[in-house]
Amino acid sequence: MSDSSREAYNAARVKALESLLIEKGIITSETVDKVIDFFEKDMGPFNGAKIVAKAWVDPEFKQRLLEDTPAAIAQMNLPRGMAGAEGEHMKAVENTPDVHNLIVCTLCSCYPWPVLGLPPYWFKDPTFRARAIREPRKVLQEFGLDIPESTEVRVWDTSAQIRWFVIPERPAGTEGWTEEQLAAIVTPEAMQGAAKVQISQSS
Amino acid sequence: MQIKFEQFVTASMLGSQDAPPRSNGELLFQSDWESRAFGIAIALSKKGHYEWEDFRQELIAAIAEWEASHYLDDPNWDYYQRWLLALERLVLELNLIDTQELETRTQQLLER
Repeated sequence: MSDSSREAYNAARVKALESLLIEKGIITSETVDKVIDFFEKDMGPFNGAKIVAKAWVDPEFKQRLLEDTPAAIAQMNLPRGMAGAEGEHMKAVENTPDVHNLIVCTLCSCYPWPVLGLPPYWFKDPTFRARAIREPRKVLQEFGLDIPESTEVRVWDTSAQIRWFVIPERPAGTEGWTEEQLAAIVTPEAMQGAAKVQISQSS
Repeated sequence: MQIKFEQFVTASMLGSQDAPPRSNGELLFQSDWESRAFGIAIALSKKGHYEWEDFRQELIAAIAEWEASHYLDDPNWDYYQRWLLALERLVLELNLIDTQELETRTQQLLER
């Protein structure tokens, strides 16, 4: 089958499945819509990006976020579930010129996904996890991040008790930006400490 | 602890071989049928028609079949096509719909 006929076949197949299941009263299209909405709109790194942007423009919020992360997040108008389940043990750490934080997960599948979205493939790689603890500067270098010797590197092991995320440094040249503009440039990698926030071409 | 089903699904897929494609932490759908197939599979489990783990196992099997018969860098690899195959098999196995009506409906939609 060519790509386009395969595409048309798959689309028809899914449509056939869905319409039959709906006619038989097994599911409703609303149920399916809700599921998709949750993954597309409620859960993902855009939540973390909003939190970081607010911390950048509001020093008092940042202070609260560092002291009691779940309480600070609860004050924001984010989707429900952010503070529950996987989100309830979150703890924010701040990158500064003196300290660079990197998050790893050595044991389990714990990840603050309500804030960061699903983890990138390398996060679960055993080699990455082991090396990030042993030689974080070298691993960061491979990600394109040269951390000066004068900056302390702290590695945080995320666990069932605490799921860490990083408030990256606000890049120069973003003075006067709105929270929305700022949130648009915060990437999941930056909130793991594996990248710095860059002002991209598009923003 | 009471958790939302979607959260459970996400947690069960974290970092495993069968985890869906994503871009920058968000799920990546290239066409509408992919997100519908994704949503139907989760909705059926949420409604109790099968255990989520049963779907995962069916998906893992569908992926393994492909890997056994293709080079791993074959550009025809399509994650959601495996997802769709797993969903279809499970729905037919459980007699939620039967093979004949699925074929007929698919043909009707293709001819429209």
